[in-house]
Amino acid sequence: MDLFPLWLSLRVSLAATALTLVVGIPVAWLLARKPFPGRDLLEALTVFPLVLPPTVLGYYLLVVIGGQGPIGRLLAAVGFELAFTWRAAVLAAAIGSIALLIKSAQAGFETVDQRLEQAARTLGRSEWSIFWAVTLPLAWRSVLAGTVLAFCRAMGEFGITLMVAGSIPGKTQTLPLAIYDQVQANQMGEANVLALIAVGVVAMLLFGLSRLMRLRY
Amino acid sequence: MVSLSITKRLPGFTLDVSWEADDPVVGLFGPSGAGKTLTLQCLAGLVRPDRGRIALNGRVFFDSATGVDLPPQARRLGYVFQGYALFPHLTVEGNVAFGLRSRPREERIERTRMVLDRLGLAGLERRYPGELSGGQQQRAALGRALAVDPDLLLLDEPLSALDAPLRRQLREELGRIIREWGKATVLVTHDLAEAYQLADRIVVYESGQVLQAAPKSELLWQPTSERVARLIGVRNLLRGTVLKATLEIIQLRWRGQTLEAVNSPSRLFLPPPGTSLPFFVRPEYVRLIRKDRPGLDPGHHMNVMEGEVVGELDQGTTWTLLFRVNAPGALSRDSYDLEIEIPKLVYEILEVARDRWWQISIHRGSIQVLPSE
Amino acid sequence: MMTAMRGALWLMLLGAWLALGGGPAAAGADVPSLTVFAAADLGFAFKEIVPRFEKSVGAKVSLVLGSSGNLATQIEHGAPADVFFAADQVFVDRLAARGALIAETRALYAQGRLVLATRKSSGLKLTQLRELLDPRVRHVAIANPLHAPYGKAAEEALRTVGVWEAVKPKLVYGENIRHALQFIQTGAADAGILALSLANALEIDWSPIDPKLHQPLTQTAAVVRRSQRPELGLAFIQFVNGPEGRSIMKRYGFLLPGES
Repeated sequence: MDLFPLWLSLRVSLAATALTLVVGIPVAWLLARKPFPGRDLLEALTVFPLVLPPTVLGYYLLVVIGGQGPIGRLLAAVGFELAFTWRAAVLAAAIGSIALLIKSAQAGFETVDQRLEQAARTLGRSEWSIFWAVTLPLAWRSVLAGTVLAFCRAMGEFGITLMVAGSIPGKTQTLPLAIYDQVQANQMGEANVLALIAVGVVAMLLFGLSRLMRLRY
Repeated sequence: MVSLSITKRLPGFTLDVSWEADDPVVGLFGPSGAGKTLTLQCLAGLVRPDRGRIALNGRVFFDSATGVDLPPQARRLGYVFQGYALFPHLTVEGNVAFGLRSRPREERIERTRMVLDRLGLAGLERRYPGELSGGQQQRAALGRALAVDPDLLLLDEPLSALDAPLRRQLREELGRIIREWGKATVLVTHDLAEAYQLADRIVVYESGQVLQAAPKSELLWQPTSERVARLIGVRNLLRGTVLKATLEIIQLRWRGQTLEAVNSPSRLFLPPPGTSLPFFVRPEYVRLIRKDRPGLDPGHHMNVMEGEVVGELDQGTTWTLLFRVNAPGALSRDSYDLEIEIPKLVYEILEVARDRWWQISIHRGSIQVLPSE
Repeated sequence: MMTAMRGALWLMLLGAWLALGGGPAAAGADVPSLTVFAAADLGFAFKEIVPRFEKSVGAKVSLVLGSSGNLATQIEHGAPADVFFAADQVFVDRLAARGALIAETRALYAQGRLVLATRKSSGLKLTQLRELLDPRVRHVAIANPLHAPYGKAAEEALRTVGVWEAVKPKLVYGENIRHALQFIQTGAADAGILALSLANALEIDWSPIDPKLHQPLTQTAAVVRRSQRPELGLAFIQFVNGPEGRSIMKRYGFLLPGES
């Protein structure tokens, strides 16, 4: 049984979740704290990937990063391959799942007592330091929940990936794409095994993390 | 020396205050919602005033004229929030050491240890705020603020989070800690006893304004207005009509009696006859004239009145007598005119329970006249 | 807190290891010599043809199946395909017009055939399109006429027979022809119009539909201009149209170029 799709999906999902964290946490913090002009626009932008059908989203993304697109051309000029590689799968998974992280983290940050941050300020700590020492540790449950959700969504990402990375076996065929392929080819046995593995891996992850959640701070 | 003059407009409330203090401990006193905490927040840089100037020992924190606005991090203050705002995810040690991040490790450890010991928190280092008693939390919050060696200590209702019996005991402890550390302090409270015990100078707040700023004894004995008098809980706050006013004496008509009060030396105050003025008499300074000694002594007995004790309230170690002056007309309160405070021993000796008719005397220096509003 | 941090640290290390390429290597991690983009309905047939080609030529082939529309879009935007087998000429023509394909390599490789299909266990045995009007037939599955060639042909056939308007309310559209097959296999649809090449599934009964009822499904292939191995791509097209390829295609119900 070829398990390449499993390893590819794990790799892609981990990289995508990392990317999601790097972009998503600052955005979530921004949305949670200061009202600023354009804030509603940002909020709408973060959720619209959830609203559009994935294949449509994938199409628009392909137009931008494909060989004919503005970014695609730029990348080609520096010799960086994005479309139809595993990196495109990472991008697809990140786009599909970032809203889940942002919303969760935002809610978490909003519930942190602002007086604690104020206290930290009077004690001389910089805003950056306050985020890491006070805000994030107190919101860790929400951030973790959002991260797990994002990871699961990345593991299951299908439509966008199909368009921008293609379902190239051995190269960009992630686990969901592989399962779909098996189903289409009427190879239900193999499909079932892969599906079970996918669910099993994620279930183990969730179980392990729920034990973490029960810790007190 | 704290020098503060700021205005801040919020929906439904305007803060417009100005005061200066060189005292070790300044108490901001007044009812809830008067703007005391807001002032503290402006002092700390957590809230930006609309206009004004804030300076500590000549160091300007905020000045709208020159555009200076130091962030809280740069003001070198210690702030103890109402409810303490201890970091729930850090131990007592972690909380106390929180502001010491920028210092070298050795110094950090040593200073934390010193603060914990001096505040009686040794042994509690590894506990979390949720595991501490109210008093311990207060000390931890103090320790956190004091550890950074601030120029000014700000306390917001430091005792209001505690139960009443604990409050009195901890009030003394807090006072001791403040004096021991010798930090200039500004504290906010709505409890006069607290302000009186802990502060040297009291600034009276009401509805976003300062009514009076004075050393505490002066405030207690010479409130400058009826509003202040009411806020500090003055009893026997009465109203009379001016008959005559000289630089030394003010003569008032009250309940058909002619009262003579000393005109305050600090107030060159000559209200024209016919003016209605508030005045007050401290209940413990009203004397019941003993019946077993004959005659009145003009040297001691002044403003003599006759009347009846119509009720009494047990205050534990004293009795508050409700006294009605024997004169026609409406009473100052529903059923009586004056409150008189006497120790229980005196009550028993004079047999007040049985003997209800009395002459009273009030020294003219004990009648405090307030300016009319 | 410490155990949580430690746990998180281990997870991150595992993640970093995986992300940097740990874990079993890609099956066939060696670069495939030829990437074939093929329409969905060629699935079964090509799964037999490809290994034979690989053996005969000694090359590795990567077979990517999908809907012709999607595949065409991807090729247009730089997908790494070497050769494209579309379910309908129109996709190839459009790409060729945009210069994405080598027009000279355009070749007809099959003519698709439509069949009327039912699930064996449904108890229905249909031989005529008109029988779709039977009230026992509640749902009819076809590929989406908007973008799938077999779907378009199905619509044409139904119109020609004059039952389109009546059958339309019962239609369920599959993304592609394999999707439509699944509707029938799972019982979501009682009957449907499929490609002959897919209809030889165990659970399916089928009757051929007269090709004259619709425009011919001319299935065309071409080599992608951007390909690094155009000769190999061309060789594959020729293999499919060669004796070995044709016999397999025939077995899967494709009408071959030159036959009627």
